[in-house]
Order: sequence, then structure tokens, then C-alpha cells
Amino acid sequence: MTPTTRTRWAILGLTGPAYLWLACTIFLPIAAMLALSFLDKSPLVPKPASFTLDNYGAFFGKPFYWSLTRWSIELGFWVTLFSFLIGYPAAYALAKRVKGRWREAIFLLIVLPFWSNALVRIFSWTMVLRSNGIIDLGMQSIFPGAPTVDLLFTYPAVVIGLVHSYLPYMILTCYIALQAIDDSLIEAGRSLGASKFTTFRRVVLPLSLPGIISGSALIFVPVIGSFMEPRILGGTKGATLGMNIEEQFTVTANWPLGAALSFILLAIVLVIFGILFPFLRKQGGAA
Amino acid sequence: MTGKTRGGKGSFGNVSRRRFVAGASALGVGAGLTPFLSRRAQASTEVKVLNWQGYGTDEAWALEAFKKATGLDIVHEYYNSESEMITKLQTNPGAYDVIVTNSAWNGRATELGVIQPIDTAQVSNFADLNPSFRDSPLLNVDGKTYGVSWVWGITAVAYSTEVYKDAPTSIEALWDAKNAKRISIRDDAIEAVSFAAIATGQDMNHPSDLAKVKEKLLALKPNIAMLWSSEDDWNKQFQAKAFDLSVYWSGSALRSKTNFKLPVGYVVPEEGAVGWFDGLAIGTDAPNAEGAHKFINYMIEPTYYVEWATKVGAPASANPKAMAALPDSDPSKAFYSDEAAIKRLQFMAPLSDKERQDFSDLWAEVKTEYAK
Amino acid sequence: MKNLADAGIRFYLILVLVFLYVPILVMAVLAFNKSPLYALPFEFDLVWFKALMENDRLLKAGLNSVLIALANTVIATSLGTMAAVAFGRYTFRGKTMMQALLFPPIAIPWLVIGTAMLVFFFWIGRAIGYPGIARGLHAILLGHVALSLPYVIFVVGTRLNDYPKALEEAAATLGATPCQVFRRVSVPILAPGVVAASLFAFAVSFDQFVISYFLAPPGVTTLPVEIYTSIRKGFTPEINAISTIIILVSMGLMLIVARFYRFGGERSGNE
Repeated sequence: MTPTTRTRWAILGLTGPAYLWLACTIFLPIAAMLALSFLDKSPLVPKPASFTLDNYGAFFGKPFYWSLTRWSIELGFWVTLFSFLIGYPAAYALAKRVKGRWREAIFLLIVLPFWSNALVRIFSWTMVLRSNGIIDLGMQSIFPGAPTVDLLFTYPAVVIGLVHSYLPYMILTCYIALQAIDDSLIEAGRSLGASKFTTFRRVVLPLSLPGIISGSALIFVPVIGSFMEPRILGGTKGATLGMNIEEQFTVTANWPLGAALSFILLAIVLVIFGILFPFLRKQGGAA
Repeated sequence: MTGKTRGGKGSFGNVSRRRFVAGASALGVGAGLTPFLSRRAQASTEVKVLNWQGYGTDEAWALEAFKKATGLDIVHEYYNSESEMITKLQTNPGAYDVIVTNSAWNGRATELGVIQPIDTAQVSNFADLNPSFRDSPLLNVDGKTYGVSWVWGITAVAYSTEVYKDAPTSIEALWDAKNAKRISIRDDAIEAVSFAAIATGQDMNHPSDLAKVKEKLLALKPNIAMLWSSEDDWNKQFQAKAFDLSVYWSGSALRSKTNFKLPVGYVVPEEGAVGWFDGLAIGTDAPNAEGAHKFINYMIEPTYYVEWATKVGAPASANPKAMAALPDSDPSKAFYSDEAAIKRLQFMAPLSDKERQDFSDLWAEVKTEYAK
Repeated sequence: MKNLADAGIRFYLILVLVFLYVPILVMAVLAFNKSPLYALPFEFDLVWFKALMENDRLLKAGLNSVLIALANTVIATSLGTMAAVAFGRYTFRGKTMMQALLFPPIAIPWLVIGTAMLVFFFWIGRAIGYPGIARGLHAILLGHVALSLPYVIFVVGTRLNDYPKALEEAAATLGATPCQVFRRVSVPILAPGVVAASLFAFAVSFDQFVISYFLAPPGVTTLPVEIYTSIRKGFTPEINAISTIIILVSMGLMLIVARFYRFGGERSGNE
């Protein structure tokens, strides 16, 4: 299908404003950062800078960067997985089982907690997770004499904090996709004798795949660059590449290295999704 | 202190900056596009201060007293790290009047041309300042004063007085096996390296044997309960008994004790500790340089300092008259006048970019081991 | 049997909501706790609400944050929805590339983007001899909207992956005016995605620290800037108090909206 002149104008008119906005405020500065990652000095140092590959070389030459990167990806994986396992059933229930006014109300209530500040929420989590915290006291009151629950400064604490922060993205994107599936399709599957599970696997899951993909992207991508939750909830147990990038800006004032590390992070994300997207598309029945 | 070609004219030289500022004011529309949020500088009645939040300059009672005395309003902007302070100065030429800098960064700001010489004749309390801070080469360049020494403090060991009946005397207490999972240090490369350098008997600013520093920090792993990131974080975790022993800032320890009534003790170990001093600088092309001088003078005045130290808790004033004016009952008075302890301090000096990067990489490596 | 399953589903949804609200409840409870350091046991006190009422700086910061977030929500949701519609409705060369371009703003840490933006705006201002342009409401809004756009496009796009163009065309063939097609066919399809996207756009802006930190003029502050720059002194439960008020007011407004307006994409006659 060759787009006619009219559709070409429509595309331009619809995407133009958003992408012009993005170009002026994000793409150009990021491009400048990309250029900077190949220089040996920050642009605000009053000395001529010269081209270098050292910033990228630093990443490949220092083993601790490899550990940080691996951990960041693992953390992103766990958080995305748990968000999916918790969020998808909730989205399904909301889309297919809850009717009437409640649906709108719950829909709104899911995002509302995030109209607050992350730092305040994280400190609240420390109150919940520590020994003598809310989980601990709750456990003790239900099972007196149970061993102390002290999750603070552990890896699970980081995962809990991050899943909490990103769960609404998974629930709502899956909800949006699931809600668009016509109930008659599901009924048709059932009336043709397919089991509930088969109908789900062959009809519902593939059709809701766009939601799962969007949700995963909106979770996995920011999580691997996160630094606040790992730092405060993880004690020493949540080292990420995001933390190191932050330090290149706040401690060493080495912007070129920070920029190079950011682009390595971006490259990893693009590679992962570049591999996953076509694969998922195919699974989604050419949706 | 590499990267210090003084008087080097880069693209950020004074001339070009002045021209832009002049251009902007000639247009007279500085913030005209943003009538909703911005408050057009009333150059004569406002002094713009760039500082950490909650660090002395923004106490409500002080601003009230200053306004009463001079008619000037203080407007604040905050930074979260020294390198961000420099970035803000560079990208907002002529926006700030008074900037809180320190011994390690004042020289950098001077070299970049973002702060201007101070007319000490306009600062009547200047002569009273302790000469060892006042005349330090870290605040003075080519006979000109670029920073008025304001306060100084210590980064040493804070402990829980509930757990320790007697103050630990040696820095080795941090490494003591019986403190497993009971200590905390700040998640900061320079502080961590400095402390480990002191513990291994090295020059804190330029340790010759970084391998030893790294080994010492790695040995801390079984004892570390958490790495603290801010004073607020520290107070909340200490209050919840997450740790008993920690490397901490003196002013903050006094605040934890005075303001928050926490059972905090503070000690400079035998092996020594980190000393630092902060300066007050004036931005290049400051919109209200006259007001800036007045505010700096007020900040080093005894009456202001006594109120800050007793009401809130503060580092030590660089003005001995202010220290003398503290009531004898105040814990900071005895603490900051312990001559023997002060002799054990090593003061923070500027680091070269390479040193800073090496420290940061070393700390990243250590933290990676901690996380395993 | 069906009732039992429904009860189970309801119970599960409630559990998920409880999980989401745990830190919010803790935050609200601590706003009424006397200790400035979140110390337990709980001692009821209104001291933080009283302090908040006298804290002009914090109240103004809260107001600024809400206003910026609202403006951001309107702009980002409109522009993002338009782009998402284009992606859903048309196939064209460069589409995949354009979608891939949404990754950098989410993947690169905000501190890096914020710094890049600050320096870039500074250069622009310097180049045109007008450095004041680098900072102010317009600069903050530029940044917030840009960071919200990818979220909006992703969320709205979820719904439009196979845009039911046939439905629109059918309606048009049956004699509906373009306006009617839009209102009766397109809006109901778009609604759940647009509402979700706008809620996220608000959240992104409302908690966005770096952009405001770098681009607000001196003396102007937002709630996140107040919170994140309190690194030395630490924030008091006044922050809990103002956050609690904002959440409660929003909840009230939202429930009213949910009462009178259908956006969940429910098909009529389904109730």
C-alpha cells in the first residue's frame, strides 16, 4: 500500500508535533551527549577536548562494570517477571470480571499511589520491611514466636520496592489490551470445544501481547537504570549500573564516562528488545 | 590539583559572559517569558544564595533577623553535590550572589571564573576570622580572596551511646569482628577512600598505596549493615537501630543530638579523621554584590552563629569570637576546642580529576564486592 | 461455583490494591505521628499539618508541582495520543525507527538527560544572546512533556496495535459525519488508553526532580526539588502531610469522575 499524499500529510500532522517536541528537547541534547561520550573532557571545562574511545574502553576493561551490568539486567528481569505475574491476572480480572462503576474506580485507584514522591514511598517501605516493621509485627501478632522478618537491606527488598513502583504500568497496559478483546471471540473458542486453558493460550494471551510488550518495556527499561530503590532498600545488596552512572555526574564530574555508560545501557536495551520484538510479534499472530 | 592553569581563557572567559548578561538585561526580558513562575530579580532587595538545603543560610529566624537589619530578602537555590554546584554556576552566569563552597572546590570555581574576588573591606568581621582558615591558599589566589571562611568541621566516628558506655578510641573499631553488620559508612567514594587511607596511615588526600586502601575497604564488608546516603537517611536508620557505629559529619552529629535527641556520641579516633572547611563566595557578575557582602558578614557574626549552633546544631565557626560566645554548656564548644583532637585531623584538599576518578573506580569495585 | 470464583477474583484485586497502597498508608499514618524521624511507637499529633500550613515555601512548591503536572498532562496526552493514532492507523516507512526512538528517553537515566538538556538550553541561549531562555516555566514544561511523551505513546499505542480502521470506515459509509465517527467510534476505542496515559503523564511530571532542579530559576521550587535537595537536613513529615492531602484530594476528584464518566471502555448494555 503506497500512502497517498493525503495520508502522508495525516501522518506528518499527527506525529509531527510530538516528534518535533522530542527532537528539540531530548533527541538533540542526547545526540550532543553521544558526541560527548567520545571526548576526553566535559564541555564546560575551558580546555580543548579531543576524540577518544577511552570511555567505552573503560567499560570493557574493568570487570566491575560487567558485574554491575549483569546485575542490572537480572534485576530488570525479576522486576518485570513479578510485575507480569502479579499484574496480568489483576488486569484480566479487571477487564473481564469487574463490571460497572467499580471498573473505572479501580482503574483510577491503581495509578493514584504514584501521584506522590518516590523517595517518600521508599522510606515508607523501609518502615514496612525492617525488623520491628509492619510485616514483622504483623507476623508476630498472627504467629507469636515466629522468627523475626527483616527484609530491609536485602535483594528481595529492592525487588519489592521496584515491583511496587512499576506494577501499575503492567496492570493498565494489559488491561487496555485485554479489554479490547471481544468477549464473543472467547465464547467462540469455548463453544468450539476448546478448554478454558486452550482458549486462554490460543486466543486471549496472543491478543493481549501488545499490552504485555508495552508494559514490559515501560518496566524493564527504567529499572535497569534505577538507583534510588537499590541504594536505600538494598543497603549494599543492590548495586546497579545506574548508580555508577549517577556518580559520574555527582562525584567525579566525568560527564563523558557517564554518557558512555548511559549509551551502553541504551544499546543493551535496544538489543534485547530488537531480539524480543519480532519474536513476540510472531507469537502474537502477526498482530 | 591538576587542570589548574590559572587565568586560562576558555570559552567561558569573563568577557563573553559579561556581554551575554549585558545583552540580556538590555533586552530587559530576562524572565519575561515566565511570568507565572519566575520572580524578576529585584537586584537591590534580594540576595540569591546557592547552598545545600538546610545548611545554615536558610534558617527562617536568621533570614528574618537579616531582613530586619538590612531590608534584604534572601532567595535560595539548592544543590545536591559540589560538581552540580559548579555546573549550575557555569550555566547560569550572573544568577547567584552568594555561593557556599568548600576547601576542595573553591579553587576550581576560581579557576573557572565563576566566582569573583571579595572586597574584604566590606566585610567587617573578616579580620576576626581564624587566620589559618582565612588566609588559606585554598580560598585565596594571587593575593585576592575568593572565599570567606565560614565554618569548619570534622568527618569522624559517631556511635550509639546506648551501645557504647565508653567512646571507642581507635578507628579499628569499625573493623572489629564483634561489630558484624553493625556499622555504616557513607556511599561516597572520596570519604570512603579518605577514611581507609587514614586507617592505613597514609596521606588522606593523596594516598600513595591505593591497593592497601582497597584491601582495607574490602575488609569492612562483614561489618557493613548499610551505606548511608543523606543525613536524613542516617537519622532515620540510626533511630531504627540499623547500626551502632558510623563515619559521620560533626555538624550533623550535633544536629542529631540537639535537634532530634538521638543517643549519639562523637569521637575523633587516635589515628585521625577528616577535616574540612567551607567558604562563602560571590558569583561573577553577581546581581547584588553589595548585598552579598552584607550577607557574608552576617554569616560570620557571633550572634548568628551562637543561635545556629544552640538551636539547630552546626559545624564550628571560623570566627573564634563566635566560638567564644557559645555558652559553656553547649556540646559543640568543648568538642571543637579539643586541641589534641584537632591536631589529628587531615584537611580536605582539592583533588585532580584523575585522583577523583581513581577513587571513584576503586569505590565502585569495593561496592561491587559488597554486593556479592 | 461462579460466585465463589467471583469472590476469589475480587479478593485478588483487593490484595493487589492493598500492596499498592501499603506505602501510601504508612506515609499517611506517619504524617500524624509526632516523631520527625518516623520513630515508633505511634503518637498522634497534628504538629506536621500545623507546620505545613505555615510553610509557605513548601505550599508554593506543592502548588507549582500540581500546576506543572496538569499542564504537562494536557500537552503530553494530546501530542502523544496523536502520534499513537498515526502509528496505529498507518503503515509507513520509518515507523519502526520512530518507535525505537522512544527508548532513549526512558532508558537513559534522567540525571543524564537533565544535564544534557541544561547544557543544551544554555548553549542555545548563549548562541542567540539571550541566556535567560534556558530557565523558567517554559523550559521545565519542555522537559517534562518530552519525558512523558514516550509513556503516553506506549500506553495509548497498546490499544491501537490493530486499529479498527474498518469500524471507522463502516461508520462513514453508513453516513456518519467525520465528527460523529470520531465521537462515536474513535473516542470509545481510545478512551481507556488515553485516561491511563494521562494518569501516568501526571505521575511522571509530579515526581520529576532533575529537570526542575536544573531548569527552575532561583527561588522557584517544586515539591520533588524540595524533597530531593533536603539531602543534608532531611525532610520532615510535613512532606508526608502535603503528600497525603494531595492524594486524598485527587482520590476524591477521581471517584467523582468515575461516578459520572465512563472511560473504561465498557460496551453499552454490558452492565
